[in-house]
Amino acid sequence: MPSLHIILTTSFIITLVILISPVFTSILYKSLNPIWHTHHIKTAVKMAFFTSLLPLFLHVHTGTELTITNLHWMNIMTFDINTSIKLDHLSITFVPIALYVTWAILEFASWYMKSDPNINQFFKFLLIFLIAMVTLVTANNMFQLFIGWEGVGIMSFLLIGWWWARADANTAALQAVLYNRVGDVGLIFALGWMATNLNSWEMQQMFITAKSLDMNAPVIGLILAATGKSAQFGLHPWLPSAMEGPTPVSALLHSSTMVVAGIFLLVRLMPLMQDNPFALTTCLILGALTTLFTTICALTQNDIKKIIAFSTSSQLGLMMVTIGLNQPYLAFLHICTHAFFKAMLFLCSRVIIHALKNEQDIRKMGGLHYLIPTTTSCLTIGSLALMGTPFLAGFFSKDAIIEALNNSYLNAWALALTLLATSLTAAYSLRMIFFVYMNFPRFPALSPINENIKSITNPLKRLAWGTILAGLLMTCAVLPPKPPMLSMPPYIKLTALVITILGLTIALELALFTNKQRPYMPKQYFYFSTMLGYYPTIMHRFFPYTFLKLSQTIASMTIDQTSLEKTGPKTITSLNLSLATTTSNIQKGMNKTFLSLFFTTLMIIILLNYY
Amino acid sequence: MNPYLLIVLLTSLGLGTALTLSSTHWLLAWLGLEVGTLAILPLMAQRHHPRATEAATKYFIVQATAAATLLFAAFNNAWLQGHSDIQHMSHPLFTSMITLALLLKLGLAPMHTWMPQVIQGVSLNTGLIVSTWQKIAPFILLLQIKQIHPPLLTIIGLASILIGGWGGLNQTQLRKILAYSSIAHLGWILLILQHSTALATYALLIYIFMTSATFITLKKCKATTINMLTTTWTKAPTITLVAPLMLLSLGGLPPLSGFAPKWFILQELTQLNFIPHASIAAMAALLSLSYYLRLSYSITLSLSPNNLPECLQWRVNYPISTPLSSALPAALALTLFLLPLTPSALTLII
Repeated sequence: MPSLHIILTTSFIITLVILISPVFTSILYKSLNPIWHTHHIKTAVKMAFFTSLLPLFLHVHTGTELTITNLHWMNIMTFDINTSIKLDHLSITFVPIALYVTWAILEFASWYMKSDPNINQFFKFLLIFLIAMVTLVTANNMFQLFIGWEGVGIMSFLLIGWWWARADANTAALQAVLYNRVGDVGLIFALGWMATNLNSWEMQQMFITAKSLDMNAPVIGLILAATGKSAQFGLHPWLPSAMEGPTPVSALLHSSTMVVAGIFLLVRLMPLMQDNPFALTTCLILGALTTLFTTICALTQNDIKKIIAFSTSSQLGLMMVTIGLNQPYLAFLHICTHAFFKAMLFLCSRVIIHALKNEQDIRKMGGLHYLIPTTTSCLTIGSLALMGTPFLAGFFSKDAIIEALNNSYLNAWALALTLLATSLTAAYSLRMIFFVYMNFPRFPALSPINENIKSITNPLKRLAWGTILAGLLMTCAVLPPKPPMLSMPPYIKLTALVITILGLTIALELALFTNKQRPYMPKQYFYFSTMLGYYPTIMHRFFPYTFLKLSQTIASMTIDQTSLEKTGPKTITSLNLSLATTTSNIQKGMNKTFLSLFFTTLMIIILLNYY
Repeated sequence: MNPYLLIVLLTSLGLGTALTLSSTHWLLAWLGLEVGTLAILPLMAQRHHPRATEAATKYFIVQATAAATLLFAAFNNAWLQGHSDIQHMSHPLFTSMITLALLLKLGLAPMHTWMPQVIQGVSLNTGLIVSTWQKIAPFILLLQIKQIHPPLLTIIGLASILIGGWGGLNQTQLRKILAYSSIAHLGWILLILQHSTALATYALLIYIFMTSATFITLKKCKATTINMLTTTWTKAPTITLVAPLMLLSLGGLPPLSGFAPKWFILQELTQLNFIPHASIAAMAALLSLSYYLRLSYSITLSLSPNNLPECLQWRVNYPISTPLSSALPAALALTLFLLPLTPSALTLII
């Protein structure tokens, strides 16, 4: 088709304009219309989704990718910074998925946040977040990516602390910002390194000029950035704490879009890393550690939102493992499929919590299968997809990852950890399902259980369709750039499935123990898991205390007290005081004082004169 | 005091200094100094309270010792040299002896201990005369002696500035403070004596103006301690306004005239490469400044909690305008506004 690129460009620009326009209209006229949010923002996102399908279909049909560079923004001598949008496979695929998930979440939020007086502001925040995410995903140069990166960080802070009168929410928002900031240091370092050594922030130029250089330093920075943003081990505690925000925030930011920004960065900049075995090994080990650690933590959580948060964290670790295996396409595939079922899991959990009058403890739920069937069915579908049930969305990505892991000659320890984490994923998913809606109810009798509202069921149904079909569609539409290993012994092929079923059955068996009396098991065995590996307990106290003490010692004691007080003014004061007292004490009113001093001085002068 | 007696004594005072100023022979110089000493003694012991008597006695002893040493050294020098000219003394030992004697007369460290006691013991007017007029004669003699051993003057000068600073810090009696301030100023003059007579004279002149203004102001307020200064605002509000400026001029702050001598002295010392001397002198001036600030703080910048009747002070003796107090405006003007006129003032002296 002759004018393909024009169609692609125009439709994408129209998508962006549709997304950005509610922000401007809200600035231009302040409407007190209470359902302004529904009409403007949700409709805008819906329209943007449908418009963005056009580039997607064009890309799938013809394989077109293009880059739009429109504005020469600034230059520092010979260093140019442009605004350029890169529409390659990654961004063209991700943008419709993000818009679809956001559409569902916004529709859900219009019911959930209906009684909030600032609902318009909430929707505007979500929209600005989405725009920042799209900026990040479509960025062709690092500067634009950094703008999007910081944008999602700030919006995450604002949205987590939405109920700012709650101290826990403020702490969680601050925690999110701080941990993200630590990761941003890595990103800024990588930016600086690239600016000085590769002389450009445009990705095309970076990939070419980086072939000959030793890229250890910047990729470590990039991995640090991904650790901060995607909650890998070391910078992970903010993700469970971020559950203090409203559920649409958790569903959008902390499951589908923001936390995958770190992984997306690594996927985008994969050409820089793929020849660097050090970086790949780091990713592998970090990812394996994250996924196992967070899965262990998720096993003993009693808060349903925390279980899903840890599950997100563990899937992020899996994505990191995939990058460590030098399989960026599979990581991206997992990003996309994970968005669907994780968002759905969050929305289902919110419906359940709301149905039980804000009860989040799974030990106080139960028997909901007959009471809210749609929601629980979606919960089941989501959990099965999470576990990697064949032919649901999660299967295509997760199984491919495990296969690639099994067939690689890389670290066997990472492999073992990941497999263990996969089986434990099944375990905690089953635990959640068992406690939430199997057996008999454990909640008080008068609960407002109602799911007959269109705003709830429609998003859930849409996301469920996505969960079922997305993996299939994506794998059928595009050929994987790296050829997968196609022939392997059956036990290798079935590893993921067997491990999952093993985890599932053991967990089911353990869950059925609750119906029987068994000997008392001491609680120490669970402390590591319930205390989240003691990581927050140690880190959140030790480092701030050390730094604050050190700064007090330096600033207050060394500079203030010693230099400015004791060695300076106070010494002078005491010295002069003693001298003044001595001088005035000589005055005793006696004649002999001055006469003897005169005589002595005279003698000294005379004696000095003769020498 | 009986006016006839007053006239006789004041005339003798002036005569003594005039004799010293116009002499070339040491005997006449000594004569003038003795006349001046004797003339001021009755003035000091005017009121017969023990303190004044003690001050007069001490003053006499000091000045007599100094004059005796002066005469002894002058005659020895005349014996060795064959002439008694003031300006042609060459023997180093007797030059140093004469210098020391004159410095004792002036009240410089380390022979300064009589100054605070004497000035404290006498009334403010007599203290004024002792502080200002009595310094002129020995100073002129010092100017005329050539070949004084330079370290002598420098060490004594710096010591005076420092002791003038430290001594005044622990005082509450105003006359003692002014005594230490005069020790410090004379120290400054001594530093530059050997190198530039014009600057030394200029410094002495400015010092005389400033000290006169201060003494007259204190007489007007009838204040002899710092506490008594705090009620100045009720007696003479205008003085309350001007007094800090006058004290800061004593301390050597621009743009007041007290800055000019210090400035030029430091410049001269720096040009002659006497950097340590200049630095120590400049730092020690801060010490004096601190007690001048204390005084100006009590006069102007603080107000003790009081009630309405205190604002009207009981004046038993309404101050009659004395000749001295009519000199106050002139003295104040010279203290505050002479800085821009320094070039022309210096040409007058050179």
